[in-house]
Amino acid sequence: MFKLFKTILKAGEATTKYPFAPFPVSPGFRGKPELDPTQCISCGACTIACPANALSMGTDAQAGTRTWELFLGRCIFCGRCEEVCPTHALALTPEFELAVGRREDLFQRATFKLEPCAECGQPFASHKEVDYALALLVQSGLPAEEAEAQRTHLATCPACKRKQNLADPSKVALGPYINKGML
Amino acid sequence: MSVSGETRIGRNYVEGLRQKFPAAVIDEAWQTADQVTVTVQLGSLPEVVEWLYYDQGGWLSVLFGNDERPLNGNFAVYYVLSMEGLVKSWVVVRALVDPIAQEFPSVTPRVPAAVWGEREVFDMYGLRPIGIPDERRLVLPDDWPEGLHPLRKDSMGYRDRPAPTTDTETYKFINDSKGSTTDVPLGPLHITSDEPGHFRLFVDGEDIIDADYRMFYVHRGMEKLAETRMGYDEVTFLSDRVCGICGFTHSVAYTTSVENALGIKAPPRAQAIRSVFLEVERLHSHLLNLGLASHFVGFDTGFMQFFRVREKSMTMAELLTGARKTYGVNLIGGVRRDILKDQRTATIKLCGELRTEVAALVDMLLETPNLAQRTAGIGRLDPKVARDYSPVGPLVRASGFKRDIRADHAYAAYPGLPMEVHTADGCDVLSRVLIRAKEFFDSINMIEYALANMPEGPILIEGFDYQPHRFALGFAEAPRGEDIHWSMTGDNQKLYRWRCRAPTYANWPPLRYMLRGNTVSDAPLIVASIDPCYSCTDRVTLVDVRKQKSTTVAYKEFERYGRERKSSPLK
Repeated sequence: MFKLFKTILKAGEATTKYPFAPFPVSPGFRGKPELDPTQCISCGACTIACPANALSMGTDAQAGTRTWELFLGRCIFCGRCEEVCPTHALALTPEFELAVGRREDLFQRATFKLEPCAECGQPFASHKEVDYALALLVQSGLPAEEAEAQRTHLATCPACKRKQNLADPSKVALGPYINKGML
Repeated sequence: MSVSGETRIGRNYVEGLRQKFPAAVIDEAWQTADQVTVTVQLGSLPEVVEWLYYDQGGWLSVLFGNDERPLNGNFAVYYVLSMEGLVKSWVVVRALVDPIAQEFPSVTPRVPAAVWGEREVFDMYGLRPIGIPDERRLVLPDDWPEGLHPLRKDSMGYRDRPAPTTDTETYKFINDSKGSTTDVPLGPLHITSDEPGHFRLFVDGEDIIDADYRMFYVHRGMEKLAETRMGYDEVTFLSDRVCGICGFTHSVAYTTSVENALGIKAPPRAQAIRSVFLEVERLHSHLLNLGLASHFVGFDTGFMQFFRVREKSMTMAELLTGARKTYGVNLIGGVRRDILKDQRTATIKLCGELRTEVAALVDMLLETPNLAQRTAGIGRLDPKVARDYSPVGPLVRASGFKRDIRADHAYAAYPGLPMEVHTADGCDVLSRVLIRAKEFFDSINMIEYALANMPEGPILIEGFDYQPHRFALGFAEAPRGEDIHWSMTGDNQKLYRWRCRAPTYANWPPLRYMLRGNTVSDAPLIVASIDPCYSCTDRVTLVDVRKQKSTTVAYKEFERYGRERKSSPLK
């Protein structure tokens, strides 16, 4: 009995002052995912990786926009989105105070402009994704002017590219096949 | 995966089967070195399972159906036996069931452990076990339409909800008592774990003569969900959510089942990390149960102290995995998160603190006169009943059986970790509490040892080939017993069939025998002693057999009576 009292005395006050004082979490705690829209190219990799379908991507062809959406009500904070993001636009934060009064407040959206196809004018990929592809070419050693010359080609939708290639075989991109030794 | 003849563990069982039942064995297929699936004639299924179970030291881990009509034109039933005789291995007995007759001979009359599984096979696939003594539904609710069997490939989508067919509960609770008894319903939520389950205690005065219960009020249809809506790699995160306490164990069991099926070997460092996290999970789960044990014998100070100390194990989980629960660390082929130096140092420090603090608390709990008084000799699980029903975890170990999957079928990094399987012969609530206390300290030792001897190398294997229609078992010892997963891969990167069995599923059927002969005030304690994992109820119905009267008792009142044992609610 005496030992018990000693233990209780030694334990002191176990409760913390939360919510009146901040509650610290361990480093690397997986909390609310945060999107940096300036980094995001709206490629949609995160929406495919998300096991809980908390992330989705909707395309509005009429308005020429693509909207990334996070529904926190579904999020399981696994961090698969963070792992697959090619531009480090998405990262989990230690934020865990996510209770809201209205369901609508659990949604986060980011809208991106789509690139109209240089040929048919139909939007097919986000403007930033095309820019990103160009930047990658420059990064891998292609002179900036040459890369810029490729812009029209990159800004053409797959369907139009196929048509173009049919008409002019010299435009068929054989590079990848040659590199792999398949031709 | 092809396994060469010499390395096969458990060949003796297959050879024995071929000798004993020469006409029965149709085919054998090896999934891993110690997992074999033997296809037998449907008619000899009961004899084959009985022989493996009682004569060869087998335990029935799980049984399930599978709709293989798109693959071979038949349904199939699988009986998974964990062979724990001289040779430790897995033997899965499979039999094809005719798609027109939709019947198979029940194994339950010979091996009682099959009862829940066979009832579930009927619910989910509509395959009728002929000769089963208990033909009631198990999983499906009373208002579910007749003839709609959700796991059949052609039955329904995972989102569909059929219209209810009845407004009244039609479930019949079984009462085997000879004399008259009073009905004591305990439920729809359980008293200790606050999870849904309906218990019906049949009492004579204060004595429980018989008991029956019903679970699955919160069946989440996860198997259907995994088979229809999710990719096989995403199911890892779903399996993390099977249980709020031992979720990581489920995700280890699931990932190993797919790894076994596809012949993937997770790197040693990943295996060690899995073992560490599994033991961290055991730490907080056992502390939770020790806390509840204190609470239910009326030692609330102990409950508070255990929960205060338990917070350290939660911190440990948060530190290592980034989340207090649902670690989300597993992937097929390894883990996603390494243990770095800072985390290791902090964890070892926490281990030391936990060891001293919990040792003091356990001493204190054992010195509390209430504990022995209230728990010794209570809720006896007779070793004979245990042998018949294949219960798992501390429950079966407290009845003298040395069953622990970490030792019997060592997975992850367990072959190299210092562990001991604790058993007791008391067969009562007290023995279960003591075993949990001992295992707690083992877990601390294992965490420290694993952290000190962490193998180098990668933590994740990448670039394996996915192959459809491969299947295998995966397993892991959760704090309350083994988790068994059986996965069959399918087309389109989805599972064809996923069977996931949580440990409590195996522990419910023998509970009835543990309740018999005890008093009403012991019931909450006994149920809590299996550390049940389901969603719980706040009311109990007591049925007086003699007066033919039914009383419903509020949870608070029932719990109070269990602790104080004064002013019975029955009077």
